[in-house]
Amino acid sequence: MHIPDGYLSPITCIATYAVTLPLWIIAFKKLKEQLDETTLPLIASLSALSFIIMMFNIPIPGGTSGHAVGAALIAILFGPWIASLCVSLVLLIQALVFGDGGMTTFAANALAMGFMASFTAHYLYIKIQTKLYAPFLSGWIGIVISSFVVAVLLGIQPLIATTPTGEPLYFPFGLNLALPAIVGSHILFFGIVEGIFTGLAYRYIVKNQIYKGVHA
Amino acid sequence: MKNIFYPIIIVLIFLPLGLISENPAWAEWENEYYQEMLGFIPKGIENAFHMKALIPDYTIAGINEVVAYYLSGIVGITLIFGFFYFLGKKIAR
Repeated sequence: MHIPDGYLSPITCIATYAVTLPLWIIAFKKLKEQLDETTLPLIASLSALSFIIMMFNIPIPGGTSGHAVGAALIAILFGPWIASLCVSLVLLIQALVFGDGGMTTFAANALAMGFMASFTAHYLYIKIQTKLYAPFLSGWIGIVISSFVVAVLLGIQPLIATTPTGEPLYFPFGLNLALPAIVGSHILFFGIVEGIFTGLAYRYIVKNQIYKGVHA
Repeated sequence: MKNIFYPIIIVLIFLPLGLISENPAWAEWENEYYQEMLGFIPKGIENAFHMKALIPDYTIAGINEVVAYYLSGIVGITLIFGFFYFLGKKIAR
């Protein structure tokens, strides 16, 4: 789901930065408010876990692969703003150090995998938190919404940026291909993995009384 | 607090499983893919600005890919803990 440099038109990159920049500022303030001796090691550990699970590329039928993100787990425990910022930090490191994703597309990736997944998971979890499957479903739906945003950002590129002869300048495939490929694979595979990860990790954290969570 | 580090260590041990997939994610193809599929590489993708990554694609030239993957994981975790360590120091002050 990491959009590389060169896949989004400059106007898309600017628009996503314009939307995400104020959100990062709010999120950073919220993070600073919540950090103390108890929360800091846990928030850092969950960010590290998010980084690590993104390295588990899972092959699926159709010749592609993907991975979980870990946004929902942080969103359930610490709220959507902190989760969004933690995933953004992970994405920044991936782009800068490992060339995974890109700097021009960093805001787009943070918006999709960070903010959209975290806020979706958080608000869904609040609605269904008494249910046993709440962490699983929050993880699943959260990442599916991320994948939808990524698919739309990619799929609109051939509509908004072409050469005078009609050749696409950036990502060349439209929504008709991007939506089923990206959203479909996240509904069927990576969303389930994210859900299982969220469910298992949440249970582990509650059982070992590591953190009671903001909603507990 | 130790309890939270165990899962990280366990997941880290299994990290090479992440290398099983030969295939890239959908829409994270090499430029040759577009040449084959479309007969051309979109100009924006071909001329994209790329930052020089320290460990591009989690690989290090001359080092075994599993070892490089482990090192990548450790570097990433270290940077994340480093960020929070310094943020914590800054706030405490």
